[in-house]
Amino acid sequence: MMRSRRVLLAVMAMMCVGTIGLFAGASQAADSYPSRSIQIIVPFPPGGVADLVGRPFAAALEKLLNQPVVIVNKTGAGGAVGHQAQAVAKPDGYTLMVALSSISFMPEVDSMFGRPLAYKLKDFAPIALLSSDPTILVVKASSPWKTLADFVADAKKRPGEIKYSSSGVYGTLHVATEMFAYDAGIKLRHIPTGGGGPALNALLGGHVDATAAGPNVCIPQMKAGAIRALASWGDKRLASLPNVPTFKELGYKNTEFYIWSGFFAPAATPQPILKVLREATAKAVQTPEFKGAMDKMATPIAYLDAPEFQKFWDNDAARSFKAIRNIGKVQ
Amino acid sequence: MEVSFQNLILGFATVLTPTNLLYALLGCLIGTMVGVLPGVGPLAGISMLLPTTFGLDATSAIILLAGIYYGAMYGGSTTSILMRIPGEAASVMTCIDGYAMARKGRAGPALAIAAIGSYAAGTLSVVGLMFLAPPLARFALGFGPPEYCSLLVCGLVVLSYMTGGSIVKNLSMITLGLMIGIIGIDQMSGYFRFSYGLVSLGDGVGVVPVAVGLFGISEILATAGSPDRREVINPRFRDLLPSKQELKDSIGPIGRGTVLGFLIGIIPGSAHIISTFVSYALERRMSKHPERFGEGAIEGVAGPESANNAASTGALVPLLALGVPTGPIPAVLLAALIVHGINPGPLFIKEQPVVFWGLIASMYLGNLVLLLLNLPLVSIFVNLLRVPYRILYPAILMFCVVGVYAVNSSMVDVGIMSVMGILGYLLRKMDFETAPLVLGVVLEPIIEYSFRQALAMSDGAYSIFVLRPISAFFLVVALVMILLGLKPLIKKTKDWRERLTEAERGA
Repeated sequence: MMRSRRVLLAVMAMMCVGTIGLFAGASQAADSYPSRSIQIIVPFPPGGVADLVGRPFAAALEKLLNQPVVIVNKTGAGGAVGHQAQAVAKPDGYTLMVALSSISFMPEVDSMFGRPLAYKLKDFAPIALLSSDPTILVVKASSPWKTLADFVADAKKRPGEIKYSSSGVYGTLHVATEMFAYDAGIKLRHIPTGGGGPALNALLGGHVDATAAGPNVCIPQMKAGAIRALASWGDKRLASLPNVPTFKELGYKNTEFYIWSGFFAPAATPQPILKVLREATAKAVQTPEFKGAMDKMATPIAYLDAPEFQKFWDNDAARSFKAIRNIGKVQ
Repeated sequence: MEVSFQNLILGFATVLTPTNLLYALLGCLIGTMVGVLPGVGPLAGISMLLPTTFGLDATSAIILLAGIYYGAMYGGSTTSILMRIPGEAASVMTCIDGYAMARKGRAGPALAIAAIGSYAAGTLSVVGLMFLAPPLARFALGFGPPEYCSLLVCGLVVLSYMTGGSIVKNLSMITLGLMIGIIGIDQMSGYFRFSYGLVSLGDGVGVVPVAVGLFGISEILATAGSPDRREVINPRFRDLLPSKQELKDSIGPIGRGTVLGFLIGIIPGSAHIISTFVSYALERRMSKHPERFGEGAIEGVAGPESANNAASTGALVPLLALGVPTGPIPAVLLAALIVHGINPGPLFIKEQPVVFWGLIASMYLGNLVLLLLNLPLVSIFVNLLRVPYRILYPAILMFCVVGVYAVNSSMVDVGIMSVMGILGYLLRKMDFETAPLVLGVVLEPIIEYSFRQALAMSDGAYSIFVLRPISAFFLVVALVMILLGLKPLIKKTKDWRERLTEAERGA
């Protein structure tokens, strides 16, 4: 009896020490964070928007945090593989992620199909919004539609006959275009392709009548006179395209969409670590290197700190959810 | 675009500065290594090096990265020939006859012909790129889903007519490949198909793990499991160089491979892989001795190896002429230009003459460097065969695992490679060809997607395939091939297939 009690005591003592050690470890981790290299997951292949934003950003963070910051392209299933990897990553601040707007779509699509969710939006703690670009509705320069009004009028006359290409089913360009189509009460024919590049190729090759594209992609084609922009999904006109009206000013109040990139941590990451990351991010977006890199890509920096980013993300996700529900299951 | 002497001078003046020269050489060197290492393909190689080019100026960066791209096509043949492990996906066809040649002690000539063919194809297609880029690029964009689908139907018909061995076995392999290719998210509707809850299977089964597993791992297993100890091949110096006859036999395949590869390369998609399949099939069809294919025919190395090089250059045509990338590798090259503040569009050549002509000149130079680099390497690589298997094969196994993992940082891919390795081993034991299986996996997503995209465009009317001229052309070619295949029914002559079967029976 004595013996077993002694064992019990010893076990309890060990547990106490262990717990204290754990707490000590945790607080120490926050104090000395970061004490080793940090991994940033990019759920898309190199050369994509997330990658092009993520790499100069990682380089800027590296200098501010004095630890190596490594980009890991964890690709697959339209980003879902990388999102999932981040959702289940240890919340110690050493595995972070730069993701795009499409992060919001997948849980909604999964639940619509009755599938187990690969991840939930609540699995992530947003750290900062890095960039945000509205998409632009473009048509071939030789098309008969000079304005959005022409386009909508024609689409109303011929429902389901005007074809548009997207970056893939339930991808950014699909969701954006259907958001507009619903708002305008028109029906367009959807041709999914394998990404933003192929979607634009389909328009340039004359296989579809319209597509949506980011400003940095379509400006060179517009300059060369190959395509015409009809409207932008932003809430105000772009500085680089001052003559292109927004859907909102043309009366489509619910049509607003951005391809944005944000910086995320796992949801359970301790506040002190998030604070270190938020402060470093605020400085990183101001560095000339990061600004220069984003400038070259013609992608404006749209920095928002965690609370504002959360608000922006909530609104954005709500708009996208609605659009996805309106699309429904693609037959 | 003005193709003038002046422009080319500008290009060479750009590339012949010490820095740019260094980057061209470096790119070719890294490319060769990337190509040699199984699993690590040009896409992975370029992607990994993309960030290191951020500090360079745009011309140097694109010269370096393009060097890796076409350099990898040189190196890809090496392990295919020596060990039956495709160094990258476009070298799968080279495994068949290249490895057969190596087993006969002709590894040296196979490697040399691969290098010479790559050089000829690389250089000729730069000429094509220089003169024909803008018109060809417009032609390439005219290639929509219906055209793509018809091209693949045509390709499959040609292939099924050409492939050797038992037709039933080959068809069953293609079918198995198509079935594996179906795994993943249905791109038209977003449904998961046969992925059993694994998000990583959403993109389907990748070509790289399948090819490395089916060819490489299965070869290692087969070697380990064979009771007879294979002798280490000791090549003599005169065996390193191709004989006159081998050189003569290779000229035709190199020429056809170049034209075919360049034209197919321009078309959007993973065209460089397809170009090697088509080239192999074409050479077999053209050959007077099709029965030699699979037993170490030099044409089976020269054709596909030229085709993949020409295709890699062809893929740059739409990128440079119109600013539109047609595949994952040109997309990364586009990204490299974008981070340097150059956003290529249809005006790229006019607005950035230094970058464009510098790249062209660097490619002339790079191909020459690669030839000079690869021919001496032949003797070194062939000597690799002297390394005892107990040391060589575990090392290769390690490279396969690391390489396949590196592509997507995915353990699932390593698992797929392992399963495919065991499957490949079993199939070999039962005398099945594994190349048609790889072909099925490669083609399924493209053929299904383009078919359904085409029908979405036409709202379900099948007439879209015959109403569009390019598409109709391919279907007519396919029909002619089928009719040719029926000819023996009418005319009482034996075609090569029957002769082959008879010869085998007699042997």
